[in-house]
Amino acid sequence: MSIELQNIHFSYGRVKALKGISLSIDKGATGLLGPNGAGKSTLLKIMLGFLTPDQGDGQVLGYNLRTEQQFIRRQIGYMPEDECFIPGMDAVSFTALMGELSGMPRQEAMKRAHEVLFYVGLGESRYRLTDTYSSGMKQRLKLAQALVHDPKLLFLDEPTSYLDPTGRQEILELIGEIASAKDIRVLICSHILADIEAICQQVVIINRGEVAAVGRIEDLRMVNYELYELKIKGELELLRKELEAAGCRVEENEERVVKVYTPPEFDHRQIFKAAARNRIQVRQFVRSQTSLEDLFARVVGVD
Amino acid sequence: MTEVREKGYHHWDGQLEDRRQVFWPITRTGIKLAFERRHFKLLFSMSFLPALAYGGAIYISERLEDFKFIAQGSEKSFQINPAFFKSYLTMEFIYFIILLLLSLGGAGLIADDFRHKAIQLYFARPIRKLDYLLGKAGVVMFFVGLLTIVPGIILVVLKLLFSGSFKFFLNYPWLILSIIFYSLFLMIFFTAFVLLASSLSKNRNYVIAIIFGLYYLSEIIRGILYTIFRSPYSALFSFRANLQQVGAGFFLTNKPYGLPWYLSFIVICLFCLFAYYVVNRKVRGVEVIK
Repeated sequence: MSIELQNIHFSYGRVKALKGISLSIDKGATGLLGPNGAGKSTLLKIMLGFLTPDQGDGQVLGYNLRTEQQFIRRQIGYMPEDECFIPGMDAVSFTALMGELSGMPRQEAMKRAHEVLFYVGLGESRYRLTDTYSSGMKQRLKLAQALVHDPKLLFLDEPTSYLDPTGRQEILELIGEIASAKDIRVLICSHILADIEAICQQVVIINRGEVAAVGRIEDLRMVNYELYELKIKGELELLRKELEAAGCRVEENEERVVKVYTPPEFDHRQIFKAAARNRIQVRQFVRSQTSLEDLFARVVGVD
Repeated sequence: MTEVREKGYHHWDGQLEDRRQVFWPITRTGIKLAFERRHFKLLFSMSFLPALAYGGAIYISERLEDFKFIAQGSEKSFQINPAFFKSYLTMEFIYFIILLLLSLGGAGLIADDFRHKAIQLYFARPIRKLDYLLGKAGVVMFFVGLLTIVPGIILVVLKLLFSGSFKFFLNYPWLILSIIFYSLFLMIFFTAFVLLASSLSKNRNYVIAIIFGLYYLSEIIRGILYTIFRSPYSALFSFRANLQQVGAGFFLTNKPYGLPWYLSFIVICLFCLFAYYVVNRKVRGVEVIK
């Protein structure tokens, strides 16, 4: 297991930030999701060894969260969300410095810095001052510095922010390749759920300091609900009331497509029966693929 | 060294080391970046002019007969004794040049990391806050050391070389220790002073203003207090006066402000502790993730 947490509690004074987080994350890419204030940052701080949990224990890459924090940080590559760099340095010196700080010998760090800068697509501009980089280039540079010491686990915080669509696609491909083919575990925090959906096989959703959902995205979609898309003729409100009373969530989009999220064990024939009772014609009925956005909204309890 | 591979991600086949001097890459980078700043090299080379002048004075003092036309009437200035070395290390100009040099090369040490959020890049690595602070302190110490301990010892060596005997050394065997310890004292003070200023703002221009403002404000306060109370204790409010007092104490010469030198030593030590406390509070590893 790359990350294994058992019953982690943490409080900022009286405010309980984490209330018994237990989870196991293994190979591949994992998305860490949650609304603002859910406890994601606190959890990341604990996993990086900056905070010690009030209660509970855990291991990251086999190192204890409480006693081996330095070892954890040695094996982790962290790509922060903020635009951060050291002014006055060129990209290759900057990346090499980060490698050295992780424990690489100086010459090796320099050689490796060249390699990772080529890998993230900054090979041609590696001798340019980082101050002169565009936002997209800085994003790639942050990925390079996180990779320079060949970490076993990558923490990526909003890796595609500040990127144009092409740049975003390229970064996602890089991360996907790292996670799938390079034997590096990747933990991604992002608000762009489409990114998580594109790269991650599994997801951890945190809400109000607790794990709201954890597992493979495919499995969670199946477990939590099913989605049907309908086109109807008639008064939606009557149908909505009846379905919501049965535990469904009903939404209508701008194209007048009605989305019905049904709870597990719900028999979809009840939708037809409810429509018939309210004299509504069902003109189209499709069992739809639910998105991560749907899953997130459902689990966290927001629209 | 194998060639750099251009395509694809490759695992690194080396072993990460448990380095003892984790601060050294930070110090080395800070020194390198200081030299890359505009006008820094010029200022750096000019800062050795006082040492050159003192070296010249030592040479002249050994050849007074040859340089009568220069030394006439000012033979006292060419007497080489502990006061001579003290005068170099406590010279107002040396303090000024150190402040100027550190303003250009050291103001951004922590401020730039705050401004460009680089602090989180450091602390996401296996380094402690102490390593980070030592790395930054090393930059200041390097430059202050180059202007104090290095010229101080070279001047003693020059004196021995020009005089051709160890008589001077035997007369003042403690002088080398005074130079070393007072230089170390200056290194610690200026490190605390500059890092404190650098941690108080994200803008290096403001840091420069804080460095000079704090230093000269203390001198102005001393002047005002002295004008009002006529008390020698007003010297305790001035950084310059305290440094000169301690210098006089280390070199066993007359105290310029008529106060026991240890009082100034205590004041500077308290200031250094305060600076450490503030910097330690300002630089927080836990801020890595917001």
